Amino acid sequence: MAQTWKDNHPLFLTIVGAAAWLVPGAGHFLLNEKRRAIVICVTVVLMFLVGLYVGSVGVIDPIGAKPWYAAQLMNSPAVFWLGRIGATGAYPVYGRANEIGQIYTSIAGLLNLLCIVNAVYMAHLRYVEEGQA
Amino acid sequence: MTAASSILLASFTTPMQIDTTPGSMLWLIPLMVGIAVVYKATKVHKIKAWPFTKETALLIGSIFVFVTVAALILHGVAWFVTEQLPSLTGGSAF
Repeated sequence: MAQTWKDNHPLFLTIVGAAAWLVPGAGHFLLNEKRRAIVICVTVVLMFLVGLYVGSVGVIDPIGAKPWYAAQLMNSPAVFWLGRIGATGAYPVYGRANEIGQIYTSIAGLLNLLCIVNAVYMAHLRYVEEGQA
Repeated sequence: MTAASSILLASFTTPMQIDTTPGSMLWLIPLMVGIAVVYKATKVHKIKAWPFTKETALLIGSIFVFVTVAALILHGVAWFVTEQLPSLTGGSAF
């Protein structure tokens, strides 16, 4: 039987993980779990955007709020770009709006991390199950 | 910054005005819904509209009840320490 690129197990797992980080839900989409991918993508992106809307782009602060920034980065590499804008200090945000914005964007990132791990695990399980069948 | 990125960011440059009131805690409800939806999306075997909605609603309800009970208990403890304890000890609680 001809080998597919998916048979290169570690590479496929890496691609699934990277895709899930690049775009929330893309890892599951690659595994043909389209409904799951849509639910994850819509929820994570919506939560992140709500956080940004409530607290402004200033909630992504790679200098003054490093632990929050680490969680926010799990959303997508696009957060690097937003972090560069937030780091300029042009959009200061304080008080409850800052708290809620940081909580929403960081929780969205941590949920996407859960989805990345889940997508990689699902890809691994399928490989193992196909091997046993 | 390019014009395109400026337009994209325009809606996200001014923070909302949210007062530090008990009502601001209601912002936790959409967060709870989001957490429940994503968690269930990673846990269920197959996503079908009705069972998924039912399981998610059950999880949201469980979290809501737990958070409400925890809040009531903590409120009770705070009320006892700040309102009742000083009169029992005949001075400040601290």
